Order: sequence, then structure tokens, then C-alpha cells
Amino acid sequence: MPEMKLKELLLILGLFFLCTYQVTAQISPGDLSNSHAYLEGVSNCTKCHDVGNKVTKEKCLACHQIIKTNILAKKGYHASAEVTGKECVVCHNEHHGRTFQMIRFDKKSFNHNKTGFELKGVHARKECTACHKADFIKDPRLKKKATTFMGLNQACLTCHEDFHKGSMSSKCNTCHNFESFKKVTTFDHNTTRFPLLGKHKTVTCEKCHPTEMVNGKPVQKLRGIQFNNCTACHKDVHDNKFGQNCKKCHNEESFHVVKGMKTFDHDKTNFKLVGKHALLACKSCHKTSLTAPIKHDHCSSCHADYHNKEFAKNGISPDCNQCHTNDGFTPSLYTVEDHNRTKFPLEGAHLATPCMACHKLQGRWTFANMGENCNDCHQNIHRGFIGDKFMANNNCKACHTVTGWKNVTFDHNKTNFKLDGAHAKLQCSDCHFKKNDKGVRVQQFKGLLTDCASCHKNNHRGQFEVNGKTDCLRCHSTESWEKTKFDHNTSRFKLEGAHLQVSCKECHKEVTDEKGKYIQYKFKSIECVVCHS
Amino acid sequence: MTRFIHSLSLTLYSLIVIISIIVLTYIGFSYYNKPIELRYFDPNYDLLKPSGILGHGLGVIGSFLIVVGLFSYMIRKRFKVFARVGVLKYWLEFHIFLCTLGSVFVLYHTTFKFGGIVSVGFWSLVIVWMSGVIGRFIYIQIPHTIQGRELSLREVHNYKAQIGLELRDNYQVEITEIEASRYSSQKINQYAENRDAADFKKIKHLIHTQKKISKRIERLDTMQNMFKHWHVAHLPFALIMLVIMVIHIAVVLTFGYKWIF
Repeated sequence: MPEMKLKELLLILGLFFLCTYQVTAQISPGDLSNSHAYLEGVSNCTKCHDVGNKVTKEKCLACHQIIKTNILAKKGYHASAEVTGKECVVCHNEHHGRTFQMIRFDKKSFNHNKTGFELKGVHARKECTACHKADFIKDPRLKKKATTFMGLNQACLTCHEDFHKGSMSSKCNTCHNFESFKKVTTFDHNTTRFPLLGKHKTVTCEKCHPTEMVNGKPVQKLRGIQFNNCTACHKDVHDNKFGQNCKKCHNEESFHVVKGMKTFDHDKTNFKLVGKHALLACKSCHKTSLTAPIKHDHCSSCHADYHNKEFAKNGISPDCNQCHTNDGFTPSLYTVEDHNRTKFPLEGAHLATPCMACHKLQGRWTFANMGENCNDCHQNIHRGFIGDKFMANNNCKACHTVTGWKNVTFDHNKTNFKLDGAHAKLQCSDCHFKKNDKGVRVQQFKGLLTDCASCHKNNHRGQFEVNGKTDCLRCHSTESWEKTKFDHNTSRFKLEGAHLQVSCKECHKEVTDEKGKYIQYKFKSIECVVCHS
Repeated sequence: MTRFIHSLSLTLYSLIVIISIIVLTYIGFSYYNKPIELRYFDPNYDLLKPSGILGHGLGVIGSFLIVVGLFSYMIRKRFKVFARVGVLKYWLEFHIFLCTLGSVFVLYHTTFKFGGIVSVGFWSLVIVWMSGVIGRFIYIQIPHTIQGRELSLREVHNYKAQIGLELRDNYQVEITEIEASRYSSQKINQYAENRDAADFKKIKHLIHTQKKISKRIERLDTMQNMFKHWHVAHLPFALIMLVIMVIHIAVVLTFGYKWIF
């Protein structure tokens, strides 16, 4: 039996060492995960395991310094109430094989708020790896770890490119929300030194904050914008004529709303208010808005061309100020001299004729195409009464001059009836205008007979008729009716003696018949008793 | 101990082991069936992990059962002081029961994760348990007294002769000419004629015993040799298992895994 026991004992020891030879270093309950694989081996147990006290977080954190730092700084998920007080092994167990996931959680249901960084907006819809990737990790120790969720901080610029290239605060959420960088919803411009008032509220940011190139990249300029004067952004359309304080007249609501018009000095503009312009209401010219630019280079910019391009040359009308002043459209600056340089110089009676007599015939001033002939203005009252021989083409100047209608230059001698004697002293109308039976003055030129009786009344009751006609010129001349060339001695009764001393009417007395009174020159008898009783 | 109580105790032993396996499998099937890498995420992890309240308990209790079953049997068997304490056969059955149940508990304590030095302990346990089963088979092939003492070949022959005499004298059955081992059921049934059922049952039992003894006599030398060598397998692995168990327990206690204590 002792031999047997010795053999058994040797066999036991042999088997024991044989069995344990390969596994002397494997008292571990299972393989460590890949992350801790380097800690395999009996000599490493106490690097994690605390003698008599399982695995304590102090041992874990002795290696995991970054987490320890975060916990001490009360940052990150490991500093949250959910984790605080827990041993690391509660969540990060070990000895479950090389491929064991020590960090495993439902990424979709994980409450990111516990990390101290609440996922809002787009962040909540992104995959974890969109942020938790090496590109955004600065710590070289963590950068190498493909699956780490650490290494990020809450600063936006950890993951997001600084669009403003350092010109703005790194606290992006001061202005931006978590839905879109483009919509600046959380920024209150009124907290700046330039509160947005009026129209400034509605303009896009880019209007005042332009994009400029910085290091070859477009950057919107948000700081350093000058705003002391409106002209820092707005063009001074007045070219500094009103100074730099735009607010004297304008406000933020609109440049077109102008205040303080009573004190507005229009003379500082390019269009001084002179004459009638100074009396006008603003709205007379500024129809839509006081600030809407008004062309004022030409009067026609505001004023309609009353003359309907009557003065246009090559289609372009001269400006009104050639004839008119600011003091009114009338009187005009147009002078007689100006008129005389036209095709129709003013002469004679035309000089004394008011303009409107010719140019405002139909109640409207007309200047163009007035015509140069008299009958363009004047009515030819002789049409049909004077033959073409004496008034060709209705040419008034054949008889009249511009000095007056009555100053007739017609040479009557060209007619069949030469004017001499008293005729030469008469007005034309004395012979050519007569009242008709109705008392209306009617003219007659052509067809007018040259015998005296055609004009003159025969007061002698036909006493001197010869063959039914009375030749006045036998006794009278054209000089005067009174002066006769009658020689009484050529009559049947020659004057002699006392008869020479007697006045004519002593013998030729006025008699009355049924037609009226007349002087009897002829007697049936020349007997003395006819006169002498 | 009556035959009934003996049978009842054996049944109870078996039931306890079977029920334990069924219950533990039922509780932990989902967990044990998972790959090792995923077990940590199972809801029953904290309960069933080797250091869990149940898992660790199984290890502690299982180890305790094995230690009790091993040393109680060893003490009873090796120390003459206890030679008269109980029947050795029952101690063996109790030893088998405790060590089997303990092994089952330890098996579930390992969560079927076999690796490292603990695996050596575990596989030692398996070998010990398997060798126990084989040893038990060999053991019953060697006739023993009711006290467990191994019978000699001569004593066995005498016992066989006694049975032969009983068959011949009491029941007029002569089987000396033909080896009992070659008795078929048909041949046994011929003895039923003109006998009451009780006698036939007794005859039947005696013939079977005779057959069994005959077969054992035929294998006795072989079995006795095997049994000597069996000890070399069973006992050393049991000790290896114990040593590793002690190391394992020492390690886990060192690192602070004290179960409920």
C-alpha cells in the first residue's frame, strides 16, 4: 500500500502540473476584451482587481485618466447622476471574450442629455458617428480610438467649421439654433449697439453684413460694421448737401418718409425753388414720394409740353426756359426781335397786336404752322367781290399793308376809274361800301359802274338829261360839286345886266314836287314874267 | 435500511439531480445558450453569472456537496474507526449522489464556460465523475458483502453453490449441468408449470442471481484488475479537482468575491 500511495501521489502531481502547465497564467474567468487584452496574465490581475475588494473604479480610473479628469471636472456622461457612485464594471464588464463590447448601449434610446449636452434639432437626428469621429477629436490619445465617444467638448467649433473665421464668439448658439446655421433665430440684434428699427428689421442680414473673402474663403462680415452714420451703409444720394445726419429728415421706416419738411431747405438740392416753384406744395412735384428722384434737368421733366412739340427740331423740343421763366409761363421771354427772326417778322400793325390775337385764336396758344399769308390769319372779306385781277391768290398785300387795313396802297388808276379830285381824297369804303335796302353795309368792287350816277344821287330831277342820261361832268368836276364849270351864257338865257349881279338862287329857287324838294334850273319859258311878276 | 427505503433514497437522489438539472436549465437556458460575449447583456446575467447570487451560490453549494460527498465517503472507507458507521454501499450511493449533484451545481456555476485553470478543475471533475460512473459499474461487477467487503472467488463460488442447492432442494430445479448464464427466459418459464406464482418468482429470482453470479465469476479477475487501476484515475483527478477548487476559491476570495458573505 505505501508503494501504491506514492505512485498515486506522483501521478497526481504529474497530472496536475501537466494540466496546469498550459494554463498557469490562466486563472482568469475568461478572455479580456481586445481593449484590455494586453492585461492578460496572472501578473496583471491586480492591475484591475483590488485585493479583497473586487474591481474598484479607482483602479480603472488610474488608467483611464481622461475619464477621471472629466469626472473630477463634472463633465460628460460619466459625471452624470446616472453614473456617479457606480463602479465602472457595472457598465463596462470584462472577461467576456475578445470581441466583447464593453461599451454597448442602445444608441437610439440613449439619453444624451446625461452627457451634459442635450441633442437638439439636427443633432438629435444625426448618427452618433457624425460627431463622434476622429476628425473632431483633438486629444491624440483618443483620436486613435476608433469607437470612442469621448474627446469632444460642447463647443460648437469642436465639430463645426468656424464660418466666421474667428470674427465672432465661439458660442454659436448665441445666434444660431440647432436646426440650421443659416437661420439666425436666437440672435437678438436689439441687444447690440445697433438695434434694428423700421425697415432694418426686414432686410436680409447680407444687406448690411456682406460676405468678404478671408484667406480665400467667403466670410460674412458681422463685426466691425460702421453704423455711426447712415452713410456707412447707405449711399448719400444728396452728396452731403444736407450733412451726414440723415435722421434729421429720415427715419428707419423709410427713406421716403420725410420729416421736418417745414425747415427743409430745398435750395440745397440741385433744384432751387425759384419763382412760382417756391409757392407750390411739395406734392405738386413730388407726386409719389418726397424722396423719389425727380428729373429736373428740363422743365419738361415735370411740365407737359403745352406746345405739343410745336417748337421741336429734329424731334427734340427746346426747353421751356428758352421762352419762359420760373415766374410763370406768361409773359414769355420771347421778344419782337425773336419774332422778327422768324419767317414772319412783325411789322406795322402786327407790332401792336397782342400775341394772343394771332396765336390764341381757338382759345389755345398755337405757334407752329401759323402761315405767312394774311389770309392765314385774316379773313378775306373781299373774296368774291374783288376780281383775281386785283387780288390774285387772295393776296391782301395787293391793296393793304401791315400798317393798317385803311392804308390801302392800291393804285386805282389801274382800273377804269382813275381817282382824281375829291375822289382821290375819299376812303375806299366811301365808294365801295354802301348800305343796301336793308341797311346792311355791302361792298362792291367789281361791276361797279364808272358813271357818276352809279354813286352819286342826281339832285336835279333829270333836268339836265340828254337822251335819258345826265352827264354831271358837263357842269361839275371831280374836285367839287360846288365848283361848276357851267357857263350860263351857253344856255338859252344869257346873263346880262342885273342878272349878273343876282345870286343863282334868286332865280333858281327850291321847289317841291311829289318826290321832294329840288332846285329848279330849267324853265319851260325864259320869259321875264316867269321870274318877275 | 429496508429495501424500500433504499429504493426510495435512490429514487430521491435521482429525482433531486434530475429536477436540479431541469430547473437550472429552465432558469438559465436563454443565458447559457448565448455566446459568451453576449451573456453580459442578458437580463439574467446578474443572477446567473459565476459571481452572481445564484451562479456563485451554485458554485459554493456544489463545491460544498462535493467536498462533503468525497470526504465523508473517504473517511468512512479509509478510517477503521468509522468502519461500522452505516453500510458502505449506502455511503457510496450517498457519495455518488452528493458528488453528482455537486458536479451539476458546479457545472451550472461555470455557466458552461470552460477556460483557464478552472477548466482543469472542471475537466478533472468530469473525469472524476465519469470514472465514478465507470467505477460504480466495475464495483457492482465485483460481489461484495452487505458491509461492502469484497468477496473472494471462493466465496462467490460458495454463494453460487448455495443458490444451486436452494434451487435443487426447495424447488427441484437442477441447473448445475448447464451454466445459469445460458438459461433463456423460455427455459426458465418451464419451471412455472405446476407451481404457484410465489415459488416461480423465487425460482426466477434465484436463476437470475445464479446467472448474474456466473457472469461475474467469469469476469471477476478482469474486474478486480480494472478496479485496481480505476482508483488511479478516479482518486488523483478528484484530488486535482480539489486542489484547483481550492486555488479557485482562494483566488476569488482574494479578489473579494465572497458571495453572500
